[in-house]
Amino acid sequence: MEKTITNDVLQRNDASKDLLTISDLTIAYHSKKDRLLALDHTTLNIEKNSLIAVVGESGCGKSTLALAIIGLLAMPPAKVETGAINYKSVNLVDLKENQRRQYRGTEIAMIFQEPLTSLNPVYKVGDQIAEAIVVREHRKGGREIDPDIQVMQKAYKVNTPEIPSRLPRIRRGATARILRNEVLDALKRVRIADPEQVIDRYPFELSGGMRQRVMIAMALSQKPALLIADEPTTALDVTTQAQVLKLMKILMDEVNTSILLITHDLAVASQVADRVIVMYAGDIVEDAGVYDMFSEPLHPYSKGLLSCIPSGSKDKTRLKPIPGTVPNLTVEQVGCKYASRCPNVMNICSTKKPRLIEAKPKHKVACFLYGE
Amino acid sequence: MESNTTQDVDGNILVTRNLKKYYPIRRGFNPFSGGGKRFVKAVDDVSMAVPRGKTVAILGESGCGKTTLARAITLLNPPTSGEVIFDGQNITKGKVNYKKIYREMQMVFQDPDSSLDPRLKVRQSVAEPCKGLLGREDANIDQLVMNSLKAVGLSEEHADRIPSHLSGGQKQRVAIARAIAPQPKLVILDEPTSALDASVQAQILNLLLDLQKNFKLTYVIITHNISVAEYLSDLLIVMYAGNVVEYGPSSSVISRPRHPYTITLIASAPIPNPWKRNLLNTEIRGEVPSAINPPSGCKFHPRCPYAEKICSEQVPELREIAPGQFVSCHFAEKTSMGNIPSGNAMTSVLGDPKN
Repeated sequence: MEKTITNDVLQRNDASKDLLTISDLTIAYHSKKDRLLALDHTTLNIEKNSLIAVVGESGCGKSTLALAIIGLLAMPPAKVETGAINYKSVNLVDLKENQRRQYRGTEIAMIFQEPLTSLNPVYKVGDQIAEAIVVREHRKGGREIDPDIQVMQKAYKVNTPEIPSRLPRIRRGATARILRNEVLDALKRVRIADPEQVIDRYPFELSGGMRQRVMIAMALSQKPALLIADEPTTALDVTTQAQVLKLMKILMDEVNTSILLITHDLAVASQVADRVIVMYAGDIVEDAGVYDMFSEPLHPYSKGLLSCIPSGSKDKTRLKPIPGTVPNLTVEQVGCKYASRCPNVMNICSTKKPRLIEAKPKHKVACFLYGE
Repeated sequence: MESNTTQDVDGNILVTRNLKKYYPIRRGFNPFSGGGKRFVKAVDDVSMAVPRGKTVAILGESGCGKTTLARAITLLNPPTSGEVIFDGQNITKGKVNYKKIYREMQMVFQDPDSSLDPRLKVRQSVAEPCKGLLGREDANIDQLVMNSLKAVGLSEEHADRIPSHLSGGQKQRVAIARAIAPQPKLVILDEPTSALDASVQAQILNLLLDLQKNFKLTYVIITHNISVAEYLSDLLIVMYAGNVVEYGPSSSVISRPRHPYTITLIASAPIPNPWKRNLLNTEIRGEVPSAINPPSGCKFHPRCPYAEKICSEQVPELREIAPGQFVSCHFAEKTSMGNIPSGNAMTSVLGDPKN
C-alpha cells in the first residue's frame, strides 16, 4: 500500500521539475542508552537548477539531512527509521553501499565547511582534481566514453570497480596532457587566477578562499545534478565569503546543477537562495520562497531568528533573543518542539505536533497559528 | 587617531602609541638562525584611544592583526615597540605590576571551550583569577564569584558544573563572569559571539550591554562580524594587514565608509534582505597580502579600485576626512560606496512579530 503511494508520487515528480524528493524521512542516532531523533518525518523536494538554503541553529538536523542525501551517515549509530529519498526514480535509502557509490560524487556531490580537512594534505591540488575526473570517466562505463580517456584509464589502472588505488599524476605523456587540460579547465571555471601554478601546489600553500574554490572545482568536475554545500563559507572571511557565494551562484547556471546550501546564517541565505527551509530540532518548520520568507515569515521561530540578527546600533534597538534553549532531542517530545520558547503558544501546542501544511501558495509552515 | 590627536586626552582609559608587534621568522629548527632578519609584522604602528565607558570595536579579517593587538595591549604578548597607556600609566615602561594591571583590565578569550579548564567547576574557574589578583585567602572571593555569576545570568546550580555540562552560550557566560569577577574597568573581548548560534548570540549581546551599564565597563571588542560591531560599538577601528585604515564613530564609518577597504568589507557583509543582494553585486579582487612581505606604500593598493601610482610609493597617513573620522587613504575624498544599503534595511523587512 505504502509502496504504491510513493511510486505514484515519484512518477508525478519525475514529470515535474523535481530533482530529488525526500518523503517522511526519520533518522535517529542510537547509543546504548539513548535514541536521539535528528530528523523527524522530514518531507521536502529539491527542484532542478535552484539554490535551496537550509537554515537552522546547531543541532537542528541540517547536517544530518545533507549527509543522508549523499549517503555519508555513519550507520550505526545513525539509523534511517522511516521514509525515502527518491532520486531519478530510485530510492537511495534502499541501495546497497556499492550501488550508492555510483551516485556519490558523480550525481550528488558535496563540499564541506573546512576545505583544509577535506583536501588530502600530501597530494598536489591538481592530482586530487584529476582523481575526481578519472573516477567520473570510469563511472561512465563503456557507453559514451572518450577513446582518449580509455587510454587514460588504462594508464591509471582504473578498470577495477573501485576508485583507483593511487592518485593519477598529471605530469608526463599524452593521456596526462588530456587530464591536465581538464584539470586546468576545472580550475579556470572557478576563476582561479593562475591555474598553471596552482595545479602543482599543496593545499597548505593556498588561502582559505582558494582551497574552497578547489573543492568546488573538484565537486563540479563531476558535473553533478545536485551539489550539497555544508556551511561552505563559515570558515571564510566576509570578503572571501562574498567571492565564493557569488561563484557558486554563477556556476549553478553554468553547470546546470542544483545547490542545497546548509547554513546557520539567514543573511547568507537571503542573499543567494531561491528557496529557504528553516529547521528546528529535527523538524522543518517553514519552507518558502526567499521573498516570502523575508517579507512575511510565518513560523514564530523564523520570526525569532530574524529578530536576533543585530542591525543598527544599540542606541536604537535592543535585540529580542529567543528565550529558553533547544529541547533535549533524546527525550521523546510531545506536541510542537518550539512550544516552550514560543511567544504565541496555545493549548493545542503541547499536546499535538503540527504538520507542515501549505498555509499560502508555495509557503509551507508547521504551526497551529495557520490552521489545521 | 594620530598620536598627537589623542595625546593626554582626558577620558581615555586606554591609549596606544605607535604600537608594533613583530614576530621574527626562523628558518629550520635552529631557534637562533635567521632571527632578526625577517619579521611578520602582525601589528604595525597602531595608535588608538579608548574613551572611558565606551565601546570600541576592532574590525578586520583573519590575519589582520586584531587578536595580536589585543594580546599586545594586555601584555600577554608584550609589544615589540610603542607605548600602552592604561588608566594614565605607561604599562610598557619599566617594571610591570601585573597584579595591579589585571585587576583593572581583563580579557575574554576567543573560544570558551579552550579557555575554560575542563576539569574545574565553574565556581573554581571564576575564582581562579580573583585568587591570583586579590590573594588566595581573601574572604571576598566567594562573594565576588557568586555576584559575577549572577550578573551573567547563571545560578548557584550552574556554579558546581564542569564546562562539558554547559551549553555553548553558558560557557561564554562563564568566560565573561570570570573576566568581570575582579571588577575590572576595561574588558577586552576577542570574538565574543563567533562560536555561538544566532539566538544565543543575541542573548550574549544583550548581556554585554547590561553589564556595561551596571558595572560602568569599557569594552574593546575584537570582531570580524560587521553587524555585531555596529550594534555594540561607539567607535570603530578597521584594520587591514596590521594597520589601522579607518577609525571613527561607528555610525559614520558604517553609513559612510571612506577607505576603499572598509567599503569593500561593508559591501560584502551579507544583510538579511533578498531584495538587496549586495553580495552578488560587489566586485572584490585578490587576496589578503602576506604579512612578511607586504606590498609597498598602501598595503591595500593591489586590490584597490582607486589605486594610482602614488599608492604604491607612499604610505598614506591617517587624515581626518569627516568629524572624528580618520582614514588612511590618498584618495579618501574621492571614494564612494556606490549603493551600499544601510544596516537598518532589516527594520522594514521584518515588521513586528505578532503578539
